[in-house]
Amino acid sequence: MRILRYILRRLLYVLPVLLGVTILVFFISHAIPGDPAQMIAGPKASRQAVEEIRRSHGLDKPLPIQYLRFVSGLVQGDLGRSIRNHRPVVEDLKDFLPATLELTLAAMILCLGVGIPLGILAAVKRNKLTDHLTRVFSVFGVSTPVFWLGLMLLLLFYRNLGWLPGSGRLDIMVQPPPQFTGMYTLDALLAGQWATFANALWHIILPAFCLSYVYLAIITRIVRSSMIGVLGQDFITTARANGLSEAIIVLKHAFKNSLIPTVTITGLSFGELMGGAILTETIFAWPGMGKYVVDSVNYLDFPGIMGFTLMVSLVYVLVNLTVDVIYAFLNPTIRY
Amino acid sequence: MKRLFLIVVLGCFGLLLNGTVWAAGPETLVVGVSSDIHTLDPSVSSDNYDWRQIYPCYDRLVAYKAGSTEVEPSAAESWSVNEDGTIWTFSIRRGIAFDDGTPLDAGAVKFAFERTLQIGRGPADNIGAIDSVEVLDDYTVQITLKNAFGPFIQTLATDAASIMNPNIMKHEKDGDLAQGWLAENTDGSGPFRLAEWTRGQRAVLEAKPDYWGGPAQIKQAVIRFMSESADRRMALERGDIDIAENILIDQLPALEENPDVEVNKYPSQLVEYVYINNRKPGLDDPRVRQALCFAVDYDGIIHYVLQGQGVQMRGPVPEGMWGHKKDLFQHKRDVSKAKALLKEAGQEDLELTLIYSERRSSWEQIATILQANFADAGITLNLELMANPTLRDQVDKGNFELCLGAWSPDYADPSMFMNFWFDSDNWGLPGNRSFYKNERVDQLIRKSVTLSDQEKRVELYNRAQEIIMDEAPYIFLYQVKTIVPMRKNVKGYVYNPMLESMYNFQDIWKK
Repeated sequence: MRILRYILRRLLYVLPVLLGVTILVFFISHAIPGDPAQMIAGPKASRQAVEEIRRSHGLDKPLPIQYLRFVSGLVQGDLGRSIRNHRPVVEDLKDFLPATLELTLAAMILCLGVGIPLGILAAVKRNKLTDHLTRVFSVFGVSTPVFWLGLMLLLLFYRNLGWLPGSGRLDIMVQPPPQFTGMYTLDALLAGQWATFANALWHIILPAFCLSYVYLAIITRIVRSSMIGVLGQDFITTARANGLSEAIIVLKHAFKNSLIPTVTITGLSFGELMGGAILTETIFAWPGMGKYVVDSVNYLDFPGIMGFTLMVSLVYVLVNLTVDVIYAFLNPTIRY
Repeated sequence: MKRLFLIVVLGCFGLLLNGTVWAAGPETLVVGVSSDIHTLDPSVSSDNYDWRQIYPCYDRLVAYKAGSTEVEPSAAESWSVNEDGTIWTFSIRRGIAFDDGTPLDAGAVKFAFERTLQIGRGPADNIGAIDSVEVLDDYTVQITLKNAFGPFIQTLATDAASIMNPNIMKHEKDGDLAQGWLAENTDGSGPFRLAEWTRGQRAVLEAKPDYWGGPAQIKQAVIRFMSESADRRMALERGDIDIAENILIDQLPALEENPDVEVNKYPSQLVEYVYINNRKPGLDDPRVRQALCFAVDYDGIIHYVLQGQGVQMRGPVPEGMWGHKKDLFQHKRDVSKAKALLKEAGQEDLELTLIYSERRSSWEQIATILQANFADAGITLNLELMANPTLRDQVDKGNFELCLGAWSPDYADPSMFMNFWFDSDNWGLPGNRSFYKNERVDQLIRKSVTLSDQEKRVELYNRAQEIIMDEAPYIFLYQVKTIVPMRKNVKGYVYNPMLESMYNFQDIWKK
């Protein structure tokens, strides 16, 4: 019960946080020198055309008024219209957010599915060859620039070996599945289109790995060090003395107790992955939010920028909340 | 348990490695491009990357002859013009219809032009010479111009003059003239129609079997949005796409070695140049501007940065455009002359700032070369990289000394250079980005653009060009070659310098 109240209270805190975000982003993005009306009008537009656009988009109004308009729209669930393509920003988000979410989730699965076992393995085989190899793998991950890694992956697995497909979410002649969530793998599964599912899964491997590598490496290192810390504690010695099998000691007793730092970094990396998918999305022609926001910035499309920032902040806040709740489950001494 | 896990993992990999590849057949042309569509409304878009999809979906009164900047009849069978060039009468071809059966007639032409003018965006400027459109009978339309305008017929071949179905008005919302709907759909009488547009991924144009000009050879053209040049290059090499657009110059040598790929190069009308702000102290002296022009190593830039894929400009009007003056003076690097001119002007310790953006990948290198070139002549050049919107704002306000820029004409007429760049009414972003003013030049170019006699127009432009070369308001760098790498089995592609980034899909086929 207490935890429910806690969650509710935290959810209420989301509102002032988001409001603060809107104020900051709105005024900072408007501080960029540049005239959106000119960007919309096109490179050779006459002055009358520019003025007309400024007026019709309400860009001639003072900033505080423009901000109030934005906020009053926001409370009604209206993020305004993109000044670049004249479309409601909510529609744009519906198009681009699922692709980013799918990629981020896939990267997260890789981070946890590969990072945790590798970390445990490295801790158990401490200072042995496996540990050294894992270390090399991790150092490489943390220090490799994403754009280079992405291109090399494409060069090797797509162009030279032909094992994996090139960029994009599906092969060119494959029809996208009917849209439920906008995530192709999930939608194809829901619609029972196995071939499309396989194709979508096939396409997500390289970008997901490329995006996840840095955090995969970090998670591996964190799991390793916290596992080593736990494995050296007295209760593990006691467990060993009681004759428990090594597998049970490592996976049940040690692992659960080493999870807190992992959960912290996982929560943080989810937000980072989502906001930082821009490079990966560019290299793999992945139609996500990253590309969308870069275009928005280039066109001074303020509603687009605001929509993206709000979305990412919301995800950050929610993931942080989830992390805090998980703490309580992992460590019963933590109480809210 | 362990075994089950292993089987599942192996099964997954097997599935993945054998994942069926759906490749495009000979009836589908796939083009890999760098940028998604912003809008499909011909009355709104000023972007070649939008026109790529819009242009083949609509007809216009006139069309460019294949590979040429001259126009020929299209939806208009013939036309006539009155003595002073202000009233144009077009007779429209019968039998052209939109998808819903509505005929393309005089009413449709009137609707389209008035809609574009009323919306008042970039395209309205392109056909801005039009004062009124009148329907004389079902298939005759009369257009009255505000003033005589030499290039008028040329403007009717541009994307801005696309004729859309008047019935789109049933999609109108809040008096938007159906802009919301037409931004995402096409409704024209052209050889193709938009069948699908998945944002950020692809657009599919479907050929109309009953097109009045004869059906296309391909059934569909798929445009794939791939922002990374290396990605497009690899997809072209693997045969996943048939044409790759905007491949970076440094990737071309590798592509040229591929036996399945042909790298075609065409002289384009896209030019790159440096705006010299003529209003800034120091730069208001023509001798200083001349010195800047003499300091630049044109050949070096073309050779090293463009790897030979460019031609030095000779005056403002590029080669391939009528009005280009073959014997006009052209600057060559001459450091001692630059120094002498600076000394004469008393500007030996000149310090300038060049602003540029990342809009074109070559600019960073060019800026660095200019810095070194100017240093040889004793000029200190500071470089300032800024975001494109910021840069445009600074240019419009005249808050700069030197700025790197690019320009391509919207229609095939030298006025796109002469009048836009030098008319003192166009200061700032509209075109005269060096804030240049010379009354004689103003007179000559304003006179020329109202005439319809090409020879007379060229004569006036030539006189203006002589003055301009003396006063050096810009540094004219080079015109770029457009590079279109494609698979060798793609046939029938014709490059048209007026249709940059647009493809003649109706004539292309795959062997």
